[in-house]
Amino acid sequence: MSAVASQPIIRLENVSRVYDTGKVQVPALVDVDLEVADGEFLAIVGPSGSGKSTMMNILGCLDRPTAGRYVLDGQPVDELNDDGLAFVRSRSIGFVFQSYNLLPRTSALENVAAPLMYQGVPKKERLQRAKAVLERLGLGDRFGHVPSELSGGQQQRVGIARALVTEPALILADEPTGNLDSHSGAEVLELFKDLHALGRTIVLITHDVDVAQAADRALHLRDGRLQESMPV
Amino acid sequence: MKPTDLIRLAFSRLGTGKVRTALTMLGVIIGVASVVALVSVAQGATKGISDRLQSLGTNLLTVSPGFTRTGATRLSFGSATTLTVDDANALAQLDGVQAIAPELTTNKLVIAGTQNETVRVVGTTPGYLQVFAYDMWVGTFLNQASVDHNMRIAVIGATTADNLSLDGSSLGSTIYIGGLPFQLVGIMQPKGGSTTADDQVLIPLSTAHELFVGSNSVSTIGLSAANQDVISTVSAEITATLEQRHGITNGVDDFSISTQAQLLGTVSSVSDVLTLLLAGIASISLLVGGIGIMNIMLVSVRERTREIGIRKAIGARGRDILSQFLVEALALSLAGGLLGIGLGVGVSFGIGIYAGWGFVFNPLTVVVAVLFSLMVGIVFGVWPASQAARLDPVVALRYE
Repeated sequence: MSAVASQPIIRLENVSRVYDTGKVQVPALVDVDLEVADGEFLAIVGPSGSGKSTMMNILGCLDRPTAGRYVLDGQPVDELNDDGLAFVRSRSIGFVFQSYNLLPRTSALENVAAPLMYQGVPKKERLQRAKAVLERLGLGDRFGHVPSELSGGQQQRVGIARALVTEPALILADEPTGNLDSHSGAEVLELFKDLHALGRTIVLITHDVDVAQAADRALHLRDGRLQESMPV
Repeated sequence: MKPTDLIRLAFSRLGTGKVRTALTMLGVIIGVASVVALVSVAQGATKGISDRLQSLGTNLLTVSPGFTRTGATRLSFGSATTLTVDDANALAQLDGVQAIAPELTTNKLVIAGTQNETVRVVGTTPGYLQVFAYDMWVGTFLNQASVDHNMRIAVIGATTADNLSLDGSSLGSTIYIGGLPFQLVGIMQPKGGSTTADDQVLIPLSTAHELFVGSNSVSTIGLSAANQDVISTVSAEITATLEQRHGITNGVDDFSISTQAQLLGTVSSVSDVLTLLLAGIASISLLVGGIGIMNIMLVSVRERTREIGIRKAIGARGRDILSQFLVEALALSLAGGLLGIGLGVGVSFGIGIYAGWGFVFNPLTVVVAVLFSLMVGIVFGVWPASQAARLDPVVALRYE
């Protein structure tokens, strides 16, 4: 790996996340250090219970670490309040979920345009940008379809389009192929590779070592600890 | 988020669950409609009553005799026979008195052909027509000559004419009042205010004194003031004149004066209370409607937990979610409010036509109803909306 940019997109220093259930304290992440360079395609692999979801929540600014530092795209985010985190999610992160998480009863176009609404982009421009992204992902003929009218692969591509529309610094994918058949899954992974080739920074979180093959680098998460492994 | 985006989101949401939206709005619709309709009914009823009172003559003052004492017992007002024709003549001279009509009232059996009826017989003067705002239907009213010469002529009310089967062709015929023959000279137009106002026989005051009552006392004296502004002045003049004539110096009058204005004032204060009462009752249904909205919004927040999580993940702040749900509640209550106003106006229109006081429509009611339904939306929408805004995105995204 070459350090393309002087500054990494993600830098975690000694990040821990402990869930306090009242009686016992459950550590989900323990002293995690991580750097992700600009333009890198990283896979974080781990079995269930390894802290994958917590990792995803922390990286995605949906949750705060209980200890440690997190700098995303040059900005420290571990101290931000809820509105600050929402702002970072809006500007810097594009999510791709296992179960797509598209807005129900809402057209593909509106779904893709939705993140721009929270950035205050005018409606006309929102729709233009959403159309452009959908067309680039081969969904030019699916603008008006609601999620229930789309196949799993198509829904996930709409989800990826939604993640791309804000041009975020980081694409964060959580088991993006988990609900797809192998053919659609392979297509989605090809899409990620294409995006990577275009210079996007992608973090893919999965339990599936084969899926992780798509990335340049894979890290293993076990019992909340991150272990460097051989580049694949 | 821009306000236009919020409104668009709210209405697209309401459009997706039409039955639920309609049922939720129904509570507000009924609440607002009942507020509008009941207030309108109360105001219409008041207007109806006021109209009838005014048809009796708005500038009317009535002087009634006071009470008498039998030993230490005070008898009721009107029991005294202290007012006389001379009092009436003196009052007729006062400034601001336009017309005067002393009345001497008895009940007599009246016979016309084969029909007969016991009816109020009023001895009065030509001023009666103006003071009590009657119009003639056919024939003529009592003139001054008939009073001056104790003529045995009679004018009857419209209801009496019906009861005795008399009409325009009966003018000049003889009717018997208390067994004595009178010539029918006129029939008055119905006033419609009350049946008693149209069921009476009028004869010259002097004739009534001669034939039915021995003294020169009168039952009441009706006066018509020149206009409404001088009523209180005229009232004071009457008091002064009668006190002087009756030799009253201690302020304990043996007569009383009532004005139409007092009556109208009483009616309007009663109707204000009535309006408030009805509006209060109707507000309860609006409250219930608001609780319905809150209920649906809470269910909606629960159902859409995942959607809220998604929105937060893609950049929505708590206040964006809050506004979204609040605007939805507002849209529900406002739409319900507008439909309710339509329904309420329709209902009050129907009732107004049916009850005969016409359509009374107060724009203020509509403004208040709109504001009230907006308030319902805010009050009952804020809690569910803040619940939604406070959801933890991590939990919300995992919610099934």
